[in-house]
Amino acid sequence: MTAAAAAQPIAGEGLAARRALRDARIRGVAFVVLMLAAAYFASGGMDTPAKFSFWIHEQGGESAVLLTSVGILWVVAAIASAVVAGLQFLRGAAFRWRRWLLVLIAPWITALLADLLGGKPAILTNVVGGSLELASPIAMAAMAGILSERSGMFNIALEGKMLIGAFTASVVSSVAFIATGNVLLATLVGITAAMAAAGLTGLLLAWLGIRHNVNQIIAGTVINIGAVGITNFIFLRVLQHNTELNSPPSVQPFNLPFLSDLPVLGPILFSAKPYVYVGYVLVIVLTYMIYRTRWGLRLRASGEKPAAAGTVGINVLAIRYRALIFAGLISGLAGSYLSLATAGSFQMQMTAGKGFIGLAAMIFGAWHPVGAFFASLVFGFADTIQSLLSILGVGVAPQLLNSVPYVVTIVVVAGVVGRVRGPASAGQPYEQG
Amino acid sequence: MKRVRDLLRPSATPILSVVTALLVGGIVILLTDFDHLSQLGTDPIGAILGALGGVADAYGAMLFGAFGDPGRIMTALQTGNAPDIAKAIRPITETLVATMPLIFAGLAVAISFRAGMFNIGGDGQLILGALAATIVAIGLAGKVTSPVILVGAIVAATVAGGLWGFIPGFLKARTGAHEVITTIMLNYIAALVVFFALRSPSLRAAGSSSPVSKNLAPIVDVPNIISLPAIRLDYGFVVALLMAVAVSWLLFKTTKGFELRAAGFNLTAARYAGMSAGGSMMLAMALSGALCGMAGGFMVIGTVGQLSLDLSGGIGFNAIALALLAGLRPSGVVMAALLFGALTNGGKLMGVQSGIPFDLLFFIIALVIMFVAAPGLIRGMWRIKGKPATEIPVVPPAGAAPTPDELVEIEELP
Repeated sequence: MTAAAAAQPIAGEGLAARRALRDARIRGVAFVVLMLAAAYFASGGMDTPAKFSFWIHEQGGESAVLLTSVGILWVVAAIASAVVAGLQFLRGAAFRWRRWLLVLIAPWITALLADLLGGKPAILTNVVGGSLELASPIAMAAMAGILSERSGMFNIALEGKMLIGAFTASVVSSVAFIATGNVLLATLVGITAAMAAAGLTGLLLAWLGIRHNVNQIIAGTVINIGAVGITNFIFLRVLQHNTELNSPPSVQPFNLPFLSDLPVLGPILFSAKPYVYVGYVLVIVLTYMIYRTRWGLRLRASGEKPAAAGTVGINVLAIRYRALIFAGLISGLAGSYLSLATAGSFQMQMTAGKGFIGLAAMIFGAWHPVGAFFASLVFGFADTIQSLLSILGVGVAPQLLNSVPYVVTIVVVAGVVGRVRGPASAGQPYEQG
Repeated sequence: MKRVRDLLRPSATPILSVVTALLVGGIVILLTDFDHLSQLGTDPIGAILGALGGVADAYGAMLFGAFGDPGRIMTALQTGNAPDIAKAIRPITETLVATMPLIFAGLAVAISFRAGMFNIGGDGQLILGALAATIVAIGLAGKVTSPVILVGAIVAATVAGGLWGFIPGFLKARTGAHEVITTIMLNYIAALVVFFALRSPSLRAAGSSSPVSKNLAPIVDVPNIISLPAIRLDYGFVVALLMAVAVSWLLFKTTKGFELRAAGFNLTAARYAGMSAGGSMMLAMALSGALCGMAGGFMVIGTVGQLSLDLSGGIGFNAIALALLAGLRPSGVVMAALLFGALTNGGKLMGVQSGIPFDLLFFIIALVIMFVAAPGLIRGMWRIKGKPATEIPVVPPAGAAPTPDELVEIEELP
């Protein structure tokens, strides 16, 4: 609502216009406060050096070093804040501030990072690459969320489906590895099984929500609690005593031919674990499918106005079933990342809220795959920074650092960053006549 | 006979839900019993009987763990020997001890559901309440008398839980942030805050390597109902029952309660009728959090006596199941909490005696929620005919709730 109002100049003196103008002024003041804060930090940080380096060709090879001081980075942040604040005041309610926010966030985070590091050098290739990698399960969860909500179904159950995916991937892949001894085959079989298991869970969710008219949030909670219960139970009863069933071959980074040879960008973007590439592909494919195909139009129609979609002959319920199964497949893939590519085995409750963070990324990204992908990057970055800072032993308690992704999620969902509108009919049951 | 059936009908679905969930749980135990199942090829009958015996052992242990041995209780009561009686009735009192926080949390979920809010943050509110109680108890230790500490700790717990619950209510009312996501995130944050607080040497048990607080029992303790050795049942349980009465009164006999329920039933209509929908959301969530915080307070200075990270043990999630099972009625919450308390307490003995991990209960509880929320499923399974006698009040889909902007528009209508 506000998003639409803020996007275009409003004539007249309606309530919405007054609210938009007031909001714009509040935002402007907030940007000024940010500028003053950055300027204040700059004054204290001129003497602290900030050293960032990038690998040019490969990990551990030649590196390009960026040497500057914390104060200068803060000055840049202050200038960026000032520019955005100025534009906000000049254009008022018509200012499309959400994209400008990125202009603000990037220097702010860099300066903040340098300040926290306090002169210690950091390898940015690893920071950005790590963010991309940690973002990939969140991005996939967000894609699954987008599919579900675009079709008109809430999908609180992403967390549970990821957990089931992580569990199935680890066990099946371990068994397949024992049986065949082939790493690639075992991994693929494990991932397929994870997707199938989570897809079936998606079907269960759809069946409860559509066939039995269970409130979609309750149905999702059932799956989340049930997934924790069953995976913990089997872990404690079976896997703990039979560790060979929980030692899958781990997924290794894979250099994409040609692209990984690009200087600086290659090591960041194209020398990652295959999940990252699947994430890129998924974003592109889903964007195309949702916005450029007949199927996508029908999907969006089911989520926005199912009654109208039904009237023109679209089988809304079939679309919702399929969307939830598809979402399940994706969340199973995301779950398999956790057990196969990070921990190297299944651990109890290893999702640790990633499914919900994915939902937050979906909201932050305005239910658009590309937006959600960049939003997941923010969360992945928060994760990376947290581990980087705790390794470097920065003087912040690790518990407080660990809570950063969760706090960011609340801030994002609460729409301090901007209220965007989701599919109009998400979560509402539809009776097909 | 017919009259009995009519009497039982309203509770048929909830009872059958629990029974079916336990049956499915039994099948899961059966299927994961590899010791017996591996003999399926050589001795199929023995394998199946052995596996079935494993299930029977597990549920038998659960039953004994929850209610004790009736014969032993009788003989103990006849001899009149205090330690014997204590030992014999301990399982029952422990069930009531496990029930106490479940009543609080179940009432909390019921209040928020009635107002159309879905509070999954019970765990966070509970543990934060417990932290507040711990801080007050340790801070006031030796400065004032023990009853004052008791009241202060419980008040602090209630306020802390209430504030933690108020946050998602406020965010929902002001920005439309979905309370499911915010409460879950606040659960994680609360756990980390408690973890952080327990690093402080003034709270932490001396010489302990794991994050647990000092033992609070020497400072303050909720008085016990029965003074026998090793019996932990205290007046916190009575307070829980009183809270059930209070919540019932609030929801069904006061204007505020009517407004809460109206907001849950139809937010737009409530708004048109001139009620403050946002206010109802915030109030419901704050009350909900306060009840959970109170539970944490009573646990930490009463039955448990110590703050630790796993104090809650999933009470917030169990509360969702039992509140739905209870049809969101406070009296029903007490009954369902007794059932879940028995399951929880029995489940612990099951874990010790037959090696069945306690976590199976979460799975069973998820099934209970599913069956209660989808009565058609259970009715089809057990071939019950006729209309369901009790409708579970269903939370309106949150997507149907107007956004704050729309609320403003409604306000501006002539």
